[in-house]
Amino acid sequence: MNKTILKSAFNLLLLVGLLIIPRYVESPYALHMMILLFMSVAQGQSWNILGGYAGQHSVGHAAYFGVGAYTTMMLMHSKGIVPWVGVWAGMAAVVVVALIIGSICFRLRGPYFVLASIAVAEIMRLSAINLTTLTNGAEGILATEIPAFKIGATVVTDFVTKVPFYYIGLFLVLLTLGVTYWVQHSKLGYFFQAIREDQDAAHSLGINIALYKNIGLVISAVLTSLAGSFYGIYVGFVDPPTVLGLDVSVQIMLICIIGGMGTIWGPVLGSLILVPLSEALRSNMVTDLLVKIGMVNADSRIGIFLKENLSHAHVLLYGILVVLVILFMPDGLMGFVKKLALRRKREAV
Amino acid sequence: MAVFLQSLISGILIGGVYALIGIGLTLIFGVMRVINFAHGDILMVGMYLTYMIFTLLGIDPFVSVLITFPLMFLFGGFLQKVFINRVLDALAQNQILLTIGLGLIMSNTVMLIFTSDYKILSTSYSSATIKVGGGVSVSTPLLISFLITAAITAALYWFLLKTDTGQAIRATAQDRDAAQLMGINVKRMSIIAFGLGSALAGTAGALISPTYYIFPQVGSVFTLKAFVITVLGGMGSVVGATLGGVLIGITESMSAVYISSGWKDVVVFVLFLLVLLFKPSGLMGKSRT
Amino acid sequence: MRKHLLALSAALVLTPCLMAQKIGVINSMSGPEAPIGENITNGIKLAEEDLKKKGVNLQLVWEDDTGKPQISMSAMEKLATRENVVGVVGPYTSACSNAVAKLAEKYHVPLLIPAAAKEEITRQGLAHVFRMNAPADKYASSLIDAAASLGKPKTIAFIYENTDFGTSTSKTAKDYVATKGIQVVADVSYPKGSADYRSTLAQIKSKNPDLVFMVSYVADAILLMRQSREVGLQPQAFLGAGAGFTTVEFAKERAISDNVISCTQWTDDVNWPGAKDFGARYKAKFGKEPTYHAACAYASMIIMAETAKASGSDRVKTRAALKAGKWNGIMGEVKFADYDGFTNQNNHQMLVQQIIAGKYETVLPAQFATKKAIYPFPKWK
Repeated sequence: MNKTILKSAFNLLLLVGLLIIPRYVESPYALHMMILLFMSVAQGQSWNILGGYAGQHSVGHAAYFGVGAYTTMMLMHSKGIVPWVGVWAGMAAVVVVALIIGSICFRLRGPYFVLASIAVAEIMRLSAINLTTLTNGAEGILATEIPAFKIGATVVTDFVTKVPFYYIGLFLVLLTLGVTYWVQHSKLGYFFQAIREDQDAAHSLGINIALYKNIGLVISAVLTSLAGSFYGIYVGFVDPPTVLGLDVSVQIMLICIIGGMGTIWGPVLGSLILVPLSEALRSNMVTDLLVKIGMVNADSRIGIFLKENLSHAHVLLYGILVVLVILFMPDGLMGFVKKLALRRKREAV
Repeated sequence: MAVFLQSLISGILIGGVYALIGIGLTLIFGVMRVINFAHGDILMVGMYLTYMIFTLLGIDPFVSVLITFPLMFLFGGFLQKVFINRVLDALAQNQILLTIGLGLIMSNTVMLIFTSDYKILSTSYSSATIKVGGGVSVSTPLLISFLITAAITAALYWFLLKTDTGQAIRATAQDRDAAQLMGINVKRMSIIAFGLGSALAGTAGALISPTYYIFPQVGSVFTLKAFVITVLGGMGSVVGATLGGVLIGITESMSAVYISSGWKDVVVFVLFLLVLLFKPSGLMGKSRT
Repeated sequence: MRKHLLALSAALVLTPCLMAQKIGVINSMSGPEAPIGENITNGIKLAEEDLKKKGVNLQLVWEDDTGKPQISMSAMEKLATRENVVGVVGPYTSACSNAVAKLAEKYHVPLLIPAAAKEEITRQGLAHVFRMNAPADKYASSLIDAAASLGKPKTIAFIYENTDFGTSTSKTAKDYVATKGIQVVADVSYPKGSADYRSTLAQIKSKNPDLVFMVSYVADAILLMRQSREVGLQPQAFLGAGAGFTTVEFAKERAISDNVISCTQWTDDVNWPGAKDFGARYKAKFGKEPTYHAACAYASMIIMAETAKASGSDRVKTRAALKAGKWNGIMGEVKFADYDGFTNQNNHQMLVQQIIAGKYETVLPAQFATKKAIYPFPKWK
């Protein structure tokens, strides 16, 4: 009982802390990092519902991310429809897309499902490049002026600073966390996990496999599309490789793999590792640090090599992390931590 | 008519190289049931190896296949022994992710070393052609690649059918446990299979390097193509992969002309989905789950 | 006491001179556009040296956008808000430049774009965005006019990459040929990195075009020409409107690049002050010949740095001075004017060149020509 109270208190404190950060932190860079973190968590949590809980490892989630991003951006750019209306259109579009994709992919199992999910995402990406009248093709959509958000006659925000984006991001995180929590503790969650563990056994128990797989997919797709719409409005530019590319799908999956699939905090942990790491590398923080502590001389060949190249190495690091995690921690960091905790408990007894 | 013939011929020639990539992948899957997502990146390593041998040692890319093949074989064997071996009994998803991770490491390490500038290999005959008459001409380097591919494929068939090791590999592919019971060192067979698959992929890379551009991310395009080919031909069937490769080459070439250059890849993927849905065992494959 | 006063006054006098101008550079230093981006980097480095000799010290903040617009945008944001630069030179590609232009306006930072082609960039009425090079409409008109003056072409085929750059340049060319009565017989946009254009080129060949107009970056340019030779595509002229057709790598591939006509913003033959000298110094320092991008970048940095210094490192004053100023250097006369719907656009004279015997020779306009153009395109061997 005490543990639950402690946990809830901790969560509440964390929430309050996150809510008031923008009042005290003004640096747009720090806010930007938090926004990236929120986006990553939202993406991971969304994928987790289908991949972690229902066991359907889709490597084509970029399709939903891209549909959300493109729909919102297209509507804002060419029809002047405000994004908070546009996201609903994005979600509607993605439900249709998800059901179509589900009807194709869910007939397949294991590696064939993975391959099919990749193929459909690639078809979407190539279609986006070719349907130029709709999507502006490879040139992408550039839309940086967001209309001001008004309630009645008062302007709540005109999106000039990063603060409104921070809160939208935070909202997305809470939403996806909430949905994940609900899924885990509901009957739906039971069905998902049954399907994950042994699809045939679940079927023989009378669980409607097709129905629940599709429900999982739709929930996952809608949340991913929200993240996509958010990405589009925040960055102001989308093009096919950026929001529909295979590497987007892989990155979304990575967050859960490294953090731990099928757990509520897994994607959070994964994001906490991946986002700061990639930013630190990208902005040369690591090289500067190494120079500062004297390990590397800034003008030496190694120093210059690091300075010029380490910023591109963050994907290399993803690769190394994945390999290490799969080989030594197949349940992700969360799984590893849980195992440790369990072992310590046993030893304590 | 000339356009049709031209497209057909270029499609067949390029299809030959695709076939080589597909055969490598299908061998790996047949023997180990591992879906190797790093296959395209292994091809990319072969390309860069060829490029280095060409620029540093001045050896013609087609001749350097003699060097690239064994080197890539060793590389593949190494990957299998150190990494893939550990996940042979793990979930399919984990195997896929491991190979994705290895692929990422490969492409990004190459990017760090060589930068992501597109490199073009130019030989004296890079743009040479042979006129076949009727307004159709055949690219000389492509023709040479095709002939070498045919030679390698023939050598592979002979190896698999006539040699002890080749038959042992086929036995392992057919039924791993039974093969082990018969005294075959299945672990060793896995290493050889992965080595062979990698050698084929690397060689395919060497063969297309005179007619393509070389850059670190070229792998992902080929990995996807390789999967389409192997599924089309039937996972585990070498003949199937050969047919599949040529078929995909022709499909691409024709689609570029009769539909559009932009949609040709979509056609290939749609074909892929259709095969997955309606005949997942492919053209020549036996039904497997 | 007097010594201290002397030292103090010396310091006060010297400090503004020693004060470095903090200028941002956004460029494609890695990624597929890197080979050309390298020219921009080197051009700026030469400018930095020359400026130092004139007493203008620079503190450059380099940002690599890897050719991706969204990275360009965050680079711009960083330069504008965290690094507090006076002005920015760059980026390279059309897509990145267009994305960054809007941000430059938002943050009120003067932006001088050296070599991006997309017309729209300076047609948006953005007061803070300046462009050195002639935009895509000039690419099209100079090439088409050159062909029309050398022969009587009646038909044209377009093949271009489906990016911002390829699509906008070919679109403006298509509009132009309509006014000249030249008929479009093929219009193909290809995805970058496809590498096998044989069947498409065979199809174009069957339409027998008089002119083939191509827009590509380096790698595609080489492959397109190689495969054109393979299929035996034989127009009156190959018009290369993309950066890929103006590089040294392209000219080296003599079997396939000889006699291709391309347009350029600069060559070292032109009698603009210091042009030849720049070419020679660049070659001596970097071991290869510069493309026009290097010259554009060089001139842009000189102008930005000198203007920033004269305006006391103030963004508002720098912008005004860029608008009002006039320069004459290796890019000829430069003035950022408003005309024909363009804002802050330098009305730059483009040159038409042709690769003859492996070297780029200026063939038009007549006053700058070093050799007579070879037309029509000789039969493939």
